[in-house]
Amino acid sequence: MLSLTILSCSNDDDSNAEDLTGQTGNLVLKFDNGVGDQDFIFGTTYNKSNGESYSLNTLKYLISNVRFTDENGIEFEITHDENVFIIDEANANNAGEIWLTLNDVDAANYTSVTFGIGIDQERYALGAEGQGDFLTQAADAGMMWSWATGFRFTRFDGTYSSATITDEALNIHMGSVGTALDNYREVTLSLPNNARVRQTTTPEVHIKADIAKVFDNTTSVNFADGYSQVHTNVETTTVIANNLSTIFSVHHVHNE
Amino acid sequence: MNKLIVLCMVITIWSCSENTNFDETYQPIPVNVEVPANFPDMTYNLDNNPVTEDGIALGKKLFYDGRLSVNNSIPCAFCHEQAFAFTHHGHTVSHGVDGNVGKRNAPPIQNMAFQDKFMWDGASTHLDLQPIIPITSDLEMGETLSNVIQKLKAANEYQQFFKRAFEDGNINSENMLKALSQFMIVMISSNSKYDKYVRQEDNTTLSTLEHDGLNTFTTKCTSCHATDLFTDNTYRNNGLPINPQLNDLGRFNILENPDDLYKFKVPSLRNIEVTYPYMHDGRFSTLEAVLNFYDHGMVDNGNVDPSLLRADDSYGISLTEYEKTSIIAFLKTLTDYEFLNDERFAEYE
Repeated sequence: MLSLTILSCSNDDDSNAEDLTGQTGNLVLKFDNGVGDQDFIFGTTYNKSNGESYSLNTLKYLISNVRFTDENGIEFEITHDENVFIIDEANANNAGEIWLTLNDVDAANYTSVTFGIGIDQERYALGAEGQGDFLTQAADAGMMWSWATGFRFTRFDGTYSSATITDEALNIHMGSVGTALDNYREVTLSLPNNARVRQTTTPEVHIKADIAKVFDNTTSVNFADGYSQVHTNVETTTVIANNLSTIFSVHHVHNE
Repeated sequence: MNKLIVLCMVITIWSCSENTNFDETYQPIPVNVEVPANFPDMTYNLDNNPVTEDGIALGKKLFYDGRLSVNNSIPCAFCHEQAFAFTHHGHTVSHGVDGNVGKRNAPPIQNMAFQDKFMWDGASTHLDLQPIIPITSDLEMGETLSNVIQKLKAANEYQQFFKRAFEDGNINSENMLKALSQFMIVMISSNSKYDKYVRQEDNTTLSTLEHDGLNTFTTKCTSCHATDLFTDNTYRNNGLPINPQLNDLGRFNILENPDDLYKFKVPSLRNIEVTYPYMHDGRFSTLEAVLNFYDHGMVDNGNVDPSLLRADDSYGISLTEYEKTSIIAFLKTLTDYEFLNDERFAEYE
């Protein structure tokens, strides 16, 4: 009741303001995986800075806790129980984009998007509560370990080669391990132009993910030195988690 | 929009069945889960999964249903038999589908709502999620979550069970796991002779031998087997000689941390009399063998718990014959016959 009154007051003060009260719309996050200045393509060999090369046949990661901040600093978060997603390159359209359509987003002019990579400790602590079918979906997508009850935050599966090694297995299955190891990371990306959510306008936020930065970043990793199999080791998973938190950027926003 | 349509359909179906079949409505009968006076606080958050009679009934049905396994013949209860405090009677390590043999001894299911880590190596940190491991392990039940859910949806009786147990009535992994948790939450073992003695109930007394055993136990064992749950919920390496056939690295497998080599969760000692054989691999078939091991069988495998180091630089807990005999007499006071025979947990009441 109080907030309603405040809203009414401010509307009176500024007669030009568009009244968005109660209005909702949709917003699309388009995830576009690439490697440096190339689009990501399954089976293509990409080179790393240290002379190693790699090729992937599976590329998936978990996104959760998506929320947006508008020009007035007000945050809108997707309903908690529905706010966890599997971004799977195999589900990409012909343009190599994985579309995440978010419904019932409050109408506003959003200036930034925040999301987590993986599953946070709070959601883990809920157990099955609020998971609905997600545990089943994640298991079907190979995003859960079977030897422990944890999510794989990433599944980068393929092979790597170097001057001395040819097509050795590459599996980056990083995740958190119970309460002992927390590899959840959050990123906030400013939008180059506002995403204007209206009942009749569905903005599309084009997010680029540079997979090269998973391996070549603040810490560049050598596959041959323990980074070809990344699962639960504290050191290697932390490096990959930190690198992952910098791979995303918003290229542009369409308001149409 | 789709959700609205489904909701309307559900309501319509409900309305119909209300007239014809009273049993299919959600009318929760709350079950009050009491913390025994001598127990520490419960770790499970009941607010997220309120326990009801129908929730327990569903959990129990699932627990005894072979459909949770790939060949429809290995239920949870296969390795967790009530008469043995829900362990796999007499088996060193568990057996699973297709004659597969696991790597570890099935731990008892009791007082799970008081634990914050599960499995010998702590592979699960939430009770709801623990069953995913045995259900999906190739060596145990070998099934996938989605197949289990499909089978449950195809079985007529489960429609009714889920509707009675959960407000949304959905047959999905969330509700299946919550029901299993509800069944395990109420599996509380707290009425052994020892419990009645410490709570001063029914004029219960311990014999001189049992009491001496309790005193020795308190002096020499409770730094790990702490509280009236008889575990401090830590992982420790107790100096067992490595079995090269299994080469079980224990907690190391979880975080690949060298400090965790050969560490296993300190087990509760409740109902220990009936949960033989002992240790994570079931290598000791009697309590005498366990105490003899602690007295003179430990080896330095490189990472033994420092609390087990003796003044002479050997590892172990020195015990006289009388101490061993009396400790065993005390341990047998932890047998809870009410729990072992409780019809609420039995397959056939």
